[in-house]
Amino acid sequence: MEGHAADNRKSAVHQGAEVAQFSVVGTRIRQPDGPAKATGEAKFAGDISLPGMLIGKILRSPYPHAVIKSIDTSKAEALPGVMAVLTPDNVAEWKTFDRGMKDMPLVAGGYRVPSEEAVVNKVARHYGDAIAAVAAVDEHTAEEAIELLEVEYELLPFVLDAEEAMQPDAPQVSDLAPDNVGKHLFYPYPEGDVDKALAEADLVVSGVFSTHKQDHCTQETAACVAYLDASGRLNVWSQCQLAHLGRRELASIFKMPVNRIKLMTPFVGGSFGQRGAVCAEPIAVALALRSKRPVRLVFSREDNFLGLESRTGFKKIDIKMGFTSDGTLTAIKTQMIGTLGGYMGCGPMSSVIGMTLAMGHYRCPNRFGEAHMVMTNTPVSGAMRGFGNDAMMFCIEQLMDDAARRLGIDPIDIRLKNAKEPGEIASMGLELESTYMEDCLQLGAEAFGWHEKRTQAKKDEGPIKRGYGMATMSHCTGAAPLYLEHSNAMVKFNEDGSADLTVHPAPVGQHIWGALSQICAEELGIRAEDVHIVTGDTDVTLFEYGSDASRSTYAIGGATLRAARQAKEQMLARAAEMLEVPADRLEVKDRVVVVKGRPDKTVTVAEVCYDAIYAFGGRATNFAGKQSFESTWNSPTYGAYFAEVEVNTETGRVHVPRFVTAIDCGKAINPMAVEGQLEGGLQQGLGYALTENFIVNPKTGVVETDNYDSYKVPGALDMPDSTVLIVDKPDPKGPFGAKGVGEPGMVGIPPCIANAVYDAIGVRLRDLPMTPERVLEALTEKTEGETETVRGE
Amino acid sequence: MKTVATFTVNGLPHEIAVEPHQLLIEVLREHLGLTGTKHSCGVGNCGACTVLVDGTPELACLTLAMEVRDKSVLTIEGLAKEGLLHPLQQAFVDYGAIQCGYCTPGMILTGKALLDDNPDPTEHEVREALAGNICRCTGYVKIVEAVLAAAEVMRKGGN
Repeated sequence: MEGHAADNRKSAVHQGAEVAQFSVVGTRIRQPDGPAKATGEAKFAGDISLPGMLIGKILRSPYPHAVIKSIDTSKAEALPGVMAVLTPDNVAEWKTFDRGMKDMPLVAGGYRVPSEEAVVNKVARHYGDAIAAVAAVDEHTAEEAIELLEVEYELLPFVLDAEEAMQPDAPQVSDLAPDNVGKHLFYPYPEGDVDKALAEADLVVSGVFSTHKQDHCTQETAACVAYLDASGRLNVWSQCQLAHLGRRELASIFKMPVNRIKLMTPFVGGSFGQRGAVCAEPIAVALALRSKRPVRLVFSREDNFLGLESRTGFKKIDIKMGFTSDGTLTAIKTQMIGTLGGYMGCGPMSSVIGMTLAMGHYRCPNRFGEAHMVMTNTPVSGAMRGFGNDAMMFCIEQLMDDAARRLGIDPIDIRLKNAKEPGEIASMGLELESTYMEDCLQLGAEAFGWHEKRTQAKKDEGPIKRGYGMATMSHCTGAAPLYLEHSNAMVKFNEDGSADLTVHPAPVGQHIWGALSQICAEELGIRAEDVHIVTGDTDVTLFEYGSDASRSTYAIGGATLRAARQAKEQMLARAAEMLEVPADRLEVKDRVVVVKGRPDKTVTVAEVCYDAIYAFGGRATNFAGKQSFESTWNSPTYGAYFAEVEVNTETGRVHVPRFVTAIDCGKAINPMAVEGQLEGGLQQGLGYALTENFIVNPKTGVVETDNYDSYKVPGALDMPDSTVLIVDKPDPKGPFGAKGVGEPGMVGIPPCIANAVYDAIGVRLRDLPMTPERVLEALTEKTEGETETVRGE
Repeated sequence: MKTVATFTVNGLPHEIAVEPHQLLIEVLREHLGLTGTKHSCGVGNCGACTVLVDGTPELACLTLAMEVRDKSVLTIEGLAKEGLLHPLQQAFVDYGAIQCGYCTPGMILTGKALLDDNPDPTEHEVREALAGNICRCTGYVKIVEAVLAAAEVMRKGGN
């Protein structure tokens, strides 16, 4: 197919019969930014060079908790080429902030996080906390200047473990968090009487689980370029996923009107939630303001591990689930203790989002959940793909498996029994618009060979024990009604019938420009390659909440669809005049406006647009649409996951040779991009489940995993044979039926693997990651279900 | 103490004064403006900075510039000829093998070294060749497909 990219051999799209016929939506277009990235032409923040530009470097605390008594900067400042030095004492002119940008309105209900962090900090709250920075003419000079800074520390007692931090005599991380509890939060949609329901249940399954801090490991590290131009405007190249909110945060810190800041989004080398916070920006901007020169600040890999938010780990997730004997879920009760690190940032809400999505996944009349989100002297926790749903689904889906086994029900059947139907209340407290979880289960089970594999006798493979597991999940599409959900788009037609779409998603690799061009082109009746994306500059784009919560295609696509419709209506009104028929008799397809039922009566989109722009006598106009979009509904995406594992009972290693993902993300705007999200999510989910582990030395607070030699992310040889299946049935509210697909790729993977491990060795692994040590330990103990009760036995 | 040395990069000779400790990645990015070579881990664990030196993949973040004087360095910018993408570049675009694009230059150049040496690799051989290149976006599926597809195009004599 001309203009379309290559088909994928293993994966498949299963269209429902009711799917409307589209011209552009649903096709496997090539991405508009592909050639720039394939040739090295694409500019990332660290690739930007400006005349007179300086290089920034950060000094980080070697202690987990310390007061910076003094910093002698004289030797560093005397070094030729050093143009600015920031210390805790000389950054007081700027405001403190919350790196998660939650010190200003973002979350519904007035939720806020205190502004506790300075550009560089007087009290280091974790190993690697930024305490000073320099800007110099080149990298070597900047590095040398950092080494010349003489710091006097006053060491403070520190606490690294969330449960220890809650003890009354524990060292205090923040004055604003009594007993170190940064936030005490509750599941926002409680229902029924959960204790009564558990007491009356035929079966209660329960477990105490833990999840860990996972680093995003974006291949590009955090980077920012900033300069104050001669007119006094601050120009910032920022990776922030939420560009307009990033601009607002910088305006607050540096006390400037927002329109004196021009925030530009270059290509971003991965994000996965990490750039939903301000990262390199505050220090880069401060160095630029202080030196009065352009400054480029690029984090080292170590800076990334130590200085950025990574996935919020949960020290303890205690869950109880009640069932009737026929497998009906009657109650879920959750208690969480999360580890926030030295600042609150995005971390606390991962508990609320996790509980909301996972506890609302199945129909369940009695629900209660509570979380203590605890500050510790460790690097900061935040949002990573899944945002707490990964942790909660790890628990819920293992307990679901436990219940199925105890009740003698097939794991698929118990999930179907409790699956919600459209019209019921979905996880986010809004009506469920669409769910095709049953399709996911059917397609996935068939492709995987679930029923055959589960029933056939296992052959003796010596120390290798083979197992098969499955899990489901649902995830939000945008975060309405809990977070701000405001997107905007502008569409204008040019005189040749091409169109420019102005939007501001974060181009972090999710193929969003292509998806938005498809939505725009489908509505305008032109081709995807006719749509140019204007983006990445807050001077030009309307307010955009940004790219997170699997929302870009849905919400920015929703705004795009509305703006395109508005521009199309203007164009069709003009075409109606030209063809002398009412506008409602017209339709537009593949660049041509046609009178319905009169295929001979046509005018091209180009002719109509030309007629409008090069017009005289008071008829001139430029067709353009501008629309806001605020989602007041939320259509969860559903997925089913199937894994085959080999557990080596001698080494404890878990190998995953085969994985099948089946997804209901509504109508797939570009199936190739959907596959890419799920295939990539599998790499992150596999690493989260098995090998990736952010290790803090329990005695010293030093982070021991600060690069890829100590922190193992899966490589090409570690990946399973992967099949992705797309249900491809439209959602009633999403643009052309689409739902979100960014996060679902990884959410269901850890419980799926854990369930397969159980099938292989009969041991429940309740702690992530499932390292060889833990597998061997569990095999030795081989005790499971320690807290369960089965009534009537 | 700087030394003026000749470096052949993407077919063109450059005379550059370099310090003995300067890394190849710095010379490529800061002196020649060839920012397609990406910095990521800085210790040779991720492959983002891969360039070809006399046809062999080398990690520019671990290679001293002086080690490659008088040798031929190929960076991602030197791969497309007269505006026409190399079959590997085209396949990466066509197969959706590029997401954020940060690992892409290193992946493509590693793939080129493989295919120059082994024009008809198996899937496993492709995975082995790419084992030192980390991608955080794609799960490697479409990257492996793209390399295999490019191999076929190249075997048939395409570009």
